[in-house]
Amino acid sequence: MAKIELEEVKKLAKLSRLEFSDKELESFVAEFEKTLEYVNKINSVDTSSVDLKEDTLDAENELRQDEIEKSYSQEQIIKNAPQSEDGAFLVPTTVEEGGA
Amino acid sequence: MDFLKLSLFEIKQKLESNEITSEELTKMCFNQIKATQKLNALVSTCEEFALSTAKKVDQKRKNGEKLGALAGVPVIIKDNINLEGTRTTCASKFLENFVSPYTATCAQKLLDADAVILGKANMDEFAMGSSNENSAFGPVLNPVNQDYVPGGSSGGSATCVKANQCFASLGTDTGGSIREPASFCGVVGLKPTYGRVSRFGVVAFASSLDQVGVFSRTVKDNALMLQVISGEDQEHDMTSAKMPVPNFVENLKTDIKGMKIGVAKQFFDDKLNSEVKQSLENALKFFEQNGAILVDVNLPSLDVASSAYYIISSAEATSNLARFDGVKYGFQAQNFDGIIDLYFKSRTQGFGPEVKRRIMLGNYVLSSGYFDAYYRKAKRVQKIIQQEFAEAFEKCDVMICPTVATTAFKLGEKTDDPVAMYLSDIFTVPINLAKLPAMSIPCGQDKKGLPIGMQIIAKQWNEQAIFDVANFFEQSTKEAK
Repeated sequence: MAKIELEEVKKLAKLSRLEFSDKELESFVAEFEKTLEYVNKINSVDTSSVDLKEDTLDAENELRQDEIEKSYSQEQIIKNAPQSEDGAFLVPTTVEEGGA
Repeated sequence: MDFLKLSLFEIKQKLESNEITSEELTKMCFNQIKATQKLNALVSTCEEFALSTAKKVDQKRKNGEKLGALAGVPVIIKDNINLEGTRTTCASKFLENFVSPYTATCAQKLLDADAVILGKANMDEFAMGSSNENSAFGPVLNPVNQDYVPGGSSGGSATCVKANQCFASLGTDTGGSIREPASFCGVVGLKPTYGRVSRFGVVAFASSLDQVGVFSRTVKDNALMLQVISGEDQEHDMTSAKMPVPNFVENLKTDIKGMKIGVAKQFFDDKLNSEVKQSLENALKFFEQNGAILVDVNLPSLDVASSAYYIISSAEATSNLARFDGVKYGFQAQNFDGIIDLYFKSRTQGFGPEVKRRIMLGNYVLSSGYFDAYYRKAKRVQKIIQQEFAEAFEKCDVMICPTVATTAFKLGEKTDDPVAMYLSDIFTVPINLAKLPAMSIPCGQDKKGLPIGMQIIAKQWNEQAIFDVANFFEQSTKEAK
């Protein structure tokens, strides 16, 4: 059985920018162990012969001139923003006044 | 005459001979959409846009102007494909109000071929799921029997074709999301070779595995649709391949004599439902009787493909979904304390449970300490699977197996058990890992009347072989009916 600690799941949630209630976390641990056990099956395959460096697309470099082209208008893109002001995305203060 | 039940080719001919106008046909489709609304196949419709396109095509036809290959034909696209001016929600609360500022290449190609896009099909949230129960806008019901799931993640795209709401649809397939619902709903569904169709404008789930493909009622319809949406997209998608697009329809062969069909025993083990097995064995016998040669092939690592798939796809998903921060577009939570809290609250409230599960798994396998053991190991397994398929295809032209080990399951039956749900993809995910084309076509039904799907797999870029075999089977079994 794959083991995972509650603390580890909490850390993962933080890294994922997701919040879970204590109850959710608990069921998550059990479920996650089951999922890990499932994905751990990959260890049954001997992959010592595989060189991942060879795993590239058979594509060649395609170069082009760096030219200015017409793109989407600012107005069009900002229309989907939850909050905007003067053509900029509006976010809460991230740097305090007088800060570094 | 019931125009809505015709194939895409048949309706094309009716439009060409002026038996019906595209406008009339489009209105009929919208009536059918309303009459079958209970199936919940669509997230949104674009009636005004569709009718104005239809009228334009009718006018062009009247004027004797040159028309595209899909002139006036009503189609539907999955709701993770951008179409300018329409909502593209990915069936997520996060994108509930997102309006596409541009059009995906595959959708643009449909429009360039004079197709009429009616609306956007329901799906599992961000294409993660195998039953279409993970939609923020409610599950889609299987049109064959409404107590059952239609499959996923392109459940809406399969359902709308089966329920005669349109003549073909687009879906996306990362691990079986076209083929599994095609199998459960009894329609034709193709996942093309990775790189055949541009992914530009398609919301990414796992970019190295995602591919746009086609649902249709017949194989020939599918071939035409693929022809239309395929091709290099140099400007937008570097993974779209520089490959010529064959005329799949004109090249369709009428017999399969001497064709080598590979059968891997790993696809026919004890996990397989007996009725599905019987149906596949009948189909193989049919091919043999018609001059095909059955060849044994071996895919020893097949049973670990799904494990490798969930690692790789979740790793890519978590990276792709990092952009959903509640600032630039999409959902933003109320009442937050600072920017970090805004991220936390928006993501927690905006994503559904399965999406969160994959984000967590993805971050786990990518985190330091586990990266080699999981992600890199899974990439190595992927390479082994690719090699095994390459060796198998030295001995055969196509491989045939069941699309899914079972027929459709009941709504709610597997929602509490993610691993049981993942098992519905075991025959489809290896194909994505190997970057091959594969199609599901109906090959029978079980005692409950639920459709059984047969999966036909070919070498990279050889969709033609799939169309040939599938078309032969479809035409012969139609005659036998």
